[in-house]
Amino acid sequence: MKINKLKLAMAATLGLALAIPQLHAVKIGVLHSLSGTMAISETSLRDVVMMAVEEINESGGVLGEQVEAVVVDPASDWPLFAEKAKQLITEDKVAVTFGCWTSVSRKSCLPVFEENNALLFYPVQYEGEEQSLNVFYTAASPNQQLVPAAEYMAKEMGCKKFYLLGTDYVFPRTANKVLKAYLKSEGVPDENVMEEYTPFHHQDYQTIVAKVKEFAASGDACILSTINGDSNVPFYKEFANQGLTSDDCPIMAFSVSEDELRAMDVPPLVGHLAAWNYFQSVKTPGNAAFVKSFKKFCVKAGLPGGAKRVTCDPIEAAYFGVYVWKAAVEKCGSFDVDKVRKAVYGLEFDAPGGKKSMHPTNQHTLKPVYVGEILKNGMFKIVYSSDGLVSPDSYSSYLWPDGNYPKPTGGPNGDGSL
Amino acid sequence: MNQFHSVFPYIFFILTCFYQLCGQATEEKFLNADLLSLLTKLAVDDDEIKANTITSLAKSGDPKLEKFFELYRQGSVYNWPDENGDVRIVVNMETEMDDDFNEFAPLFEPLSGKPFIIEGKQAKPDLLDLEDISPGRKLRSLVNSSKFLIRLFSPDYETRISGVKKCGDPPFMAEAMSSLEDISNDAEENEKIRWTASESMALIELGQKSEDFAGLNSKLLALEKLGKLKSLRALARIDGFEKEIESLEASEKISSKQSGTLYKSISKIKKSLEGHKSSVELAGNLFRGVSYGSVLILIALGLAITFGLMGVINMAHGELVMVGAYATYEVQMLFGHSPENSVNEYYFFALPVAFLASATVGLLMEKFVVRHLYNRPLESLLATWGVSLLLIQLVRLRYGDNIGVNAPTWARGGFEISQDVILPFARLYLLALSAACVGFIYFIIRKTRKGMLIRATMQNRDMASSLGVRTRNVDRFTFALGSGIAGVAGYGWTIVGGVTPDMGTKLFIVDSFLVVVAGGVGELAGVLCSGLGIGVITKLIEPLELGGFTIGPVWGKVILLALIVAFIQYKPAGLFAPKGRLGDK
Repeated sequence: MKINKLKLAMAATLGLALAIPQLHAVKIGVLHSLSGTMAISETSLRDVVMMAVEEINESGGVLGEQVEAVVVDPASDWPLFAEKAKQLITEDKVAVTFGCWTSVSRKSCLPVFEENNALLFYPVQYEGEEQSLNVFYTAASPNQQLVPAAEYMAKEMGCKKFYLLGTDYVFPRTANKVLKAYLKSEGVPDENVMEEYTPFHHQDYQTIVAKVKEFAASGDACILSTINGDSNVPFYKEFANQGLTSDDCPIMAFSVSEDELRAMDVPPLVGHLAAWNYFQSVKTPGNAAFVKSFKKFCVKAGLPGGAKRVTCDPIEAAYFGVYVWKAAVEKCGSFDVDKVRKAVYGLEFDAPGGKKSMHPTNQHTLKPVYVGEILKNGMFKIVYSSDGLVSPDSYSSYLWPDGNYPKPTGGPNGDGSL
Repeated sequence: MNQFHSVFPYIFFILTCFYQLCGQATEEKFLNADLLSLLTKLAVDDDEIKANTITSLAKSGDPKLEKFFELYRQGSVYNWPDENGDVRIVVNMETEMDDDFNEFAPLFEPLSGKPFIIEGKQAKPDLLDLEDISPGRKLRSLVNSSKFLIRLFSPDYETRISGVKKCGDPPFMAEAMSSLEDISNDAEENEKIRWTASESMALIELGQKSEDFAGLNSKLLALEKLGKLKSLRALARIDGFEKEIESLEASEKISSKQSGTLYKSISKIKKSLEGHKSSVELAGNLFRGVSYGSVLILIALGLAITFGLMGVINMAHGELVMVGAYATYEVQMLFGHSPENSVNEYYFFALPVAFLASATVGLLMEKFVVRHLYNRPLESLLATWGVSLLLIQLVRLRYGDNIGVNAPTWARGGFEISQDVILPFARLYLLALSAACVGFIYFIIRKTRKGMLIRATMQNRDMASSLGVRTRNVDRFTFALGSGIAGVAGYGWTIVGGVTPDMGTKLFIVDSFLVVVAGGVGELAGVLCSGLGIGVITKLIEPLELGGFTIGPVWGKVILLALIVAFIQYKPAGLFAPKGRLGDK
């Protein structure tokens, strides 16, 4: 009954919000899975995009027009991403879309965006090796996360042996290719690098942890983990249960953020590491306000978790993506995709995590790199931060040593030219 | 000779006592005031002074410093200069914020960890007033290793043994030798710690660089010691040792004859260590197989009743497991168990709650859905699948996608049954739980009157009914029992796995059907054998290496499924096929 009332209230406010500005409203698309496997991660991104929209509307909208978010649910079903993207672009005629989490979902709807010359803001760190003129990547490319993290393990933690452990799909496999090339360039011999994959939803990590234990007997090994989603919980639990700690073998994770830590039993994880471009514990005035208003928004909208909700790297990237689009629209004075695209290049802006800027040519974002250590309260203590912003590589120089990178794709002419 | 042997320990004992006295004396030399004045040097802007300070702090062996080193390494230690600009070393971990987003840092004393009191209140200066004195990149590894040195003196067993162990890892802390020796000779010390101390000492010796044959020889002695200790950590060092001999031979510092004798002794030790390793691995793999099997049995047991006995293709079985897991979460919340404040009792109360919660859901399911579909397996498949979707969405609405069940603290760690074979407590508990559930079901079905009625109804419903058995009641009871056992599986699962609304569909349903079908529908013993069989086979296949290619979990699963397909071809009715008239159905 309580839920019903709440829903009614929500629907009413939503209806009101939509009804008033109907004459002057620009539509934007939100393409995140709200059900299925990826819902665990993606619903938070929907929430934060809605928050940004609400903030923008309260402060007068974009170019005097209110923003109306069209939310669709591609249900963690990859082909459905393409269908829903098509619906957003051709039927709802959205000016821009914010969405996708997994690389496979992005690859699935990419042709739709390129075909219609539409714009997608993609907020999650990924394996790189892509540069479409129809996508702006607001999260890390490999050289903004993977390589600095491996460098930290090798140089500051003194690790000599690396166990690359991942879930079996495109991001971990490409990420590990980059990592292996980097480690090789640093003179780490092949026998000191182990690579292993587990299927999605793998739950029984007994054998792998036993292997890690043997591998780490020399005392100078670490794990670089691209394990994704719900497999992280049994992995860390088994790791602690077999008597291993972060002293014996630290785990550097690339897919574990504050939001995932909410679902984990944190004490056994204390001291393990993660590399991101943003942590909730980043010290800037803008971030303090951001964290607070996100919590307020979650309470107000009656979202599960309420005030216990936390911010993390993809949440920040999804949030400032909306503002980057707004700034670009205001800069060029138009919602036209080609004009907006040109306005985004080189744009400097204030994100919750500090000043950042868009790359002048390659669609990615210049960001700082942080390494954080997991604390007992599920937050990260930042133990390393890069000197200033790190420029993104769309193609990894470790995989293209000759520098002959592939050309961009898509764009106004459909051939990667501007 | 014999006499000497009997006297020797006494001399040793006296010596160690003497040592300990000396140790105490030096400890007392470092009073808090001295330590504090030493700490102030950390604020000096000179890496060399800082490095010296860190080393002398570590050598002081004061257990009070153990926490401090951890905080210092993390960068939680600051300098808060007083009005005269004098250094005050303080600790701050988390900051507080006022409504204008100014950040304040509640301060703590560096040694005692108590609040830093000024004018009767905890000091909370603006964060900007604190000067960051965390170690720079160059110093961080020194701080890291010093952290382990200081742990040698910790009163806490876990902390002390981790320190003892890490001192023997690279960068091999020779400074730790004398303290390690004290520990290994301390008769009152825990056996495991003494053993680890001698292992670490030998590893440190083995880790030193040597220039000539004598040096290599003393390293060989250390390796022999490690061989006797059956140290698996030594195995990882042998390659490096052999390479060192190789390079010394190449630069003609030792003769090929000398290197030959060294190689020979090394390979002997290596062989014995590898023998130890493979027996540890075999024992470990077998245990892991049994433990995985026990999880499978636990998960499939409920289905063995609802599907096996009653013939309902229950697609919502996984969700019944999920309900049990969420019931456990609710009980945890009720007891207020959290990482900061552990109330382990919650876990024992959660067991009956999980059982009852799932049994209730099962009862409702039976009443509203299943009962109408007893003779229509295909419809019951669809209907229960619908119920499963409903349950997932209900739970998602109530809890969202991210919740964490905190395992009770005793479930962490394990029991070392023989050297290097560790049986994690969590797994042992699941093993016991699964055995208890099997025993419970066996008892009910085979030894009680109710069980007899269940068997009668399931074998021949009409006959039982005509003899006066209330088959409706029996159905209801049986379905609730199976559902309740599924809930217990969910409860057990929380200490090894994660909890999400769709865990049932993603993790359990396929495995459960696999176990029940391979075991033979309708037979408890079949579930037992197929669960254990699948578990052990998986865990024996996974670590296999074929010419440099490790099978691993991805291919392990493929091979296992292929095996089961082949097995079902050969025995379509599963391991324990129902015989006689029942089998003809």
